[in-house]
Amino acid sequence: MLSLHNICAGYGSTRVLHGITFDFLPGQNYCILGPNGCGKTTLIRAMAGLIPSEGEIILHGQSIRQMKRRQLAASMAVMSQATQIYFPYTVYDTVMLGRYQHMSRRLFSAPDAQDRQKVEECLEQVRLSDLRHKPIDQLSGGQRQRVFLAQALAQDPEIILLDEPTNHLDLRHQIELIDYLRRWSSDGQHTVIGVLHDVNLALQLTDHVLFMKDGQIVRHGLFHETADAAFLRQLYDADIAGFMQTSFDRWRNIK
Amino acid sequence: MKNKVKFLLFLASALAALALGVCIGSSRIPLGTVLSVLSHKLFGTALPESVTGVTASIVWSIRFPRAVMAFLIGAALSASGTVMQSVLRNPLASSYTLGVSSGASLLAAVVLVTGFSLPVIGSYTLPFLGFIGGLGTVFLAMALSMRFDRGMENHTIILVGMVLSLFVNALLTLVTALSSERLSQLIFWQMGSFSGETWQNCGLVLTVLALGLCILQRYAREMDLMTFGEEQALSAGVEMRRVKLILIALSALLTGTAVSLVGVIGFVDLIAPHIIRRLFGSNHRLVTPMAALFGGTFMVLADLLARTILSPLELPVGAVTALIGAPFFAWVYFHRKRGAA
Repeated sequence: MLSLHNICAGYGSTRVLHGITFDFLPGQNYCILGPNGCGKTTLIRAMAGLIPSEGEIILHGQSIRQMKRRQLAASMAVMSQATQIYFPYTVYDTVMLGRYQHMSRRLFSAPDAQDRQKVEECLEQVRLSDLRHKPIDQLSGGQRQRVFLAQALAQDPEIILLDEPTNHLDLRHQIELIDYLRRWSSDGQHTVIGVLHDVNLALQLTDHVLFMKDGQIVRHGLFHETADAAFLRQLYDADIAGFMQTSFDRWRNIK
Repeated sequence: MKNKVKFLLFLASALAALALGVCIGSSRIPLGTVLSVLSHKLFGTALPESVTGVTASIVWSIRFPRAVMAFLIGAALSASGTVMQSVLRNPLASSYTLGVSSGASLLAAVVLVTGFSLPVIGSYTLPFLGFIGGLGTVFLAMALSMRFDRGMENHTIILVGMVLSLFVNALLTLVTALSSERLSQLIFWQMGSFSGETWQNCGLVLTVLALGLCILQRYAREMDLMTFGEEQALSAGVEMRRVKLILIALSALLTGTAVSLVGVIGFVDLIAPHIIRRLFGSNHRLVTPMAALFGGTFMVLADLLARTILSPLELPVGAVTALIGAPFFAWVYFHRKRGAA
């Protein structure tokens, strides 16, 4: 469905990604893991066509460079992390903007019944229906993240790309978000590809992981088949497995 | 209050401001007389005997074009300011940031100093070259931004625009220093004035404004998305580079037309979008036309103050808009910040 062939990308003269090749299969979620600066966010941005890259990104047999932005947006959404809000749109208006590529471009055209219904569904799914008229600059960080998730869902894409979607969320909302994304993709037609720092949270979303280091994918596959204590220690330069084990032992003692 | 009610209130205020603009001046003309002259000119009804030809001429040929021109220029500048704030994601951005006024002033200074006149257009040489200078500077800023940064990020555009403005201003200082006898004429032009406006000029601005507002309505959703940032707009399906170029060019066209005909008038483009967003929300399908309506009304009142407050002396309207606009803007902007905190 989404194939990367020898992707190289970076910022200015600094190259961050060095020849990434990978095939993402439909109906399967993926988590990209790795230490800071390994190129996870750059990979997500390159896949979404937000930054220039070399190599080929093929979506349904077509290079994304040959696709119009609207066409690409109908298949792939990026959940925004817009933290600075300059102009106070309401929750409803913000989610409705996700319908942009489905709407008519004629002068004075308004959202149709299908757009309005989709927005209602998305608001319901992220439990923000009650706040529909509230300006988004008056929401908490967690509520705002849910608004942007609803906006990405309103695009009605097959793939959602996420970059640290749980940054501003408390534990309850982290669990809810991951749970929602898992359900959204459980029909076998939707795919979530996410960057998550928290390995535990990543494993709640999917078992399929891509480990990155220095701008390359160093291992990929099912977590329990690809990761071992020595590999994680080498990747993160820290005793990850030991840390998790200590944590697990403490949780086990909680009644 | 519902948006429809607010819109009707704004429309009524605009009409009231226009009526005041026509009625009040060196001689006061009753509203009834103004309406009968209007009816006479538009529908061919007979003028009452009490209305002299001179009064009719003052109303139709002097006061009306001046008030209408002030309205249209205020509307054009406000629409332009709305676009720039959204596209550049900067609440303090305007076409002036990209050098429209500097470029227009430089070529206007050259025309004033040299007395140069283009064949065919004659007396329109100054506005025409002012327009070319203003637009030319913005396009140069865009071309340089594209050269330095293929992605045309906002901070590049703003920085290039500011540097170019400073450079063109330095050239303007050189030109004026070399020809000090024309200095006062140039300063007066730069401060802006609506005196001596004609229906012909009104028609010109109305055409550009109507065209501009229609195109801006077409790109309202794109502007909405752009306020959330370039990456969000891109991932939602906006062809950013093309849309950004169209919108900045359109904004420069609106401001360039205004500056070339009436000089540099600031602040209305800054305050109108802020006030409208507070009252109508952020949706550009409403914000752009409403900012135009508010900006037009504000400009008619500013011009009224400019010519009556120290009558018979006429103040530059740019000074009046800045005197009212600066504290008003500070209040609106910081009041909102404090409210949000």
